[in-house]
Amino acid sequence: MVQASSVEIAKVNKFYGPFHALKDIDLSIAPGKVTCLIGPSGSGKSTLLRCINFLEEYSSGEIRIDGQLIGYKTPGGAKMSGRDLRTMRRSIGMVFQQFNLWPHMTALENVAEGLRRVRGLSRTEAEARAAEALRKVGLGDRMANHPSRLSGGQQQRVAIARAIAMEPKLMLFDEPTSALDPELVGEVLNVMKALAAEGMTMVVVTHEMGFAAHVADRVAFMEKGELVAVDAPARILHQPEDPRIQAFLRTYHERNLF
Amino acid sequence: MFSVATFIDSFGPLLYAARYTLLISGLGIALGLVIGALICAARLSPFPALRRFAAVWVSFLRGVPLLVQLLLVYYLLPVIGIDVPAMVAAVVTVGICASAYVSEIWRGAIAALPRGQSEAAVAIGMSPGDIWTRIILPQAVSLSLPALVNELILLVKASSLVSVVGIMEITRASQAQAATTYRPLEVYIAAACIYLAINLCLAAVGRVLEHRMAV
Repeated sequence: MVQASSVEIAKVNKFYGPFHALKDIDLSIAPGKVTCLIGPSGSGKSTLLRCINFLEEYSSGEIRIDGQLIGYKTPGGAKMSGRDLRTMRRSIGMVFQQFNLWPHMTALENVAEGLRRVRGLSRTEAEARAAEALRKVGLGDRMANHPSRLSGGQQQRVAIARAIAMEPKLMLFDEPTSALDPELVGEVLNVMKALAAEGMTMVVVTHEMGFAAHVADRVAFMEKGELVAVDAPARILHQPEDPRIQAFLRTYHERNLF
Repeated sequence: MFSVATFIDSFGPLLYAARYTLLISGLGIALGLVIGALICAARLSPFPALRRFAAVWVSFLRGVPLLVQLLLVYYLLPVIGIDVPAMVAAVVTVGICASAYVSEIWRGAIAALPRGQSEAAVAIGMSPGDIWTRIILPQAVSLSLPALVNELILLVKASSLVSVVGIMEITRASQAQAATTYRPLEVYIAAACIYLAINLCLAAVGRVLEHRMAV
């Protein structure tokens, strides 16, 4: 079992100039739980996710990881130093829609890079741990490949290995399967399921309603920068009360009919 | 009548002069790469004064012909009491001029990298120094190779301009040769052959490098 973090989001607002991207978001995520963020595009799901590791700065409110405020020294105060922020980010893994693997490195080097530069491990030790992480995502036989020689699903699994090799206590997934061909989605979701089963705290922005229904502990629905509802997956996906959720699910089901 | 003998005899003095062409363009690009890197860093720095300095540097050096820059330096240095050999003045001028183009080539290569490349590194907690040296620069350098080889080839040709400050490189040597043999056509064809040979070699080396460093 992994050591898992909690996330507390309180009254978070985010502005891009005059555009109000996140409106008074409150969300708390208990250690070891999987939370899926769903909603129409442009609703602020990815922005909220990126605020959790401060890739995106939030304008007001508080985001705390295991009780520790991220990004600012005090709520509404001065920004945290780069060094302190890096220390906090070490225990937060992130997986991106476009994988963002480094094309000039092999799969093994991609995974070992953070272990060497951030954790300060020797090359031998970093590569041993990287190999272990790659085996865990089923890519033990692809370690010497450059990303351009891997399928999308394999690239995304390398990206997950890169994150878990750092032994994070919290994993953020930003639409991890949206850039994949449909037949490659399953292999990535399986790795994520295994991670959830180990007790990792996970926040997942996704359009995979099946994953949300079967793996998530809670589903949060967002629209136009607002967190409309957070509840058990069945209550959001099967008996939604809010008309906005009903409308979203209706378009989703229509799209998947054939 | 085309004089084959004059054509062949021209190669001796012109190949001797080619060492200056190679020296000026080689040292010029080396200096251009170093200064270009500094200018590019200034252009991308968080300090407005440095950014403005870099922008003016690039605009001036790209906006004034190299020939005029060479003449300016040639006549300016004695006025301000600096006495350096013409060769040194030429290399420095060519290098500084090249730095403007090199810095733009690098700026373009860095800007061409997807944002996600550095974001992935930021997300695992890498320091800005490591992100530059491990993620951004290795990719930017290989992306910029074709443009840098192009720039080097342009410099080899532009080095003919330093003939105006009296350096016996290929072009100046051909002029001298043409004047003594009264056979300009043969001499300049020989000069063209030498320039072409140098640049074809550079292009070939560039292709090998590109292939090796392909991302």
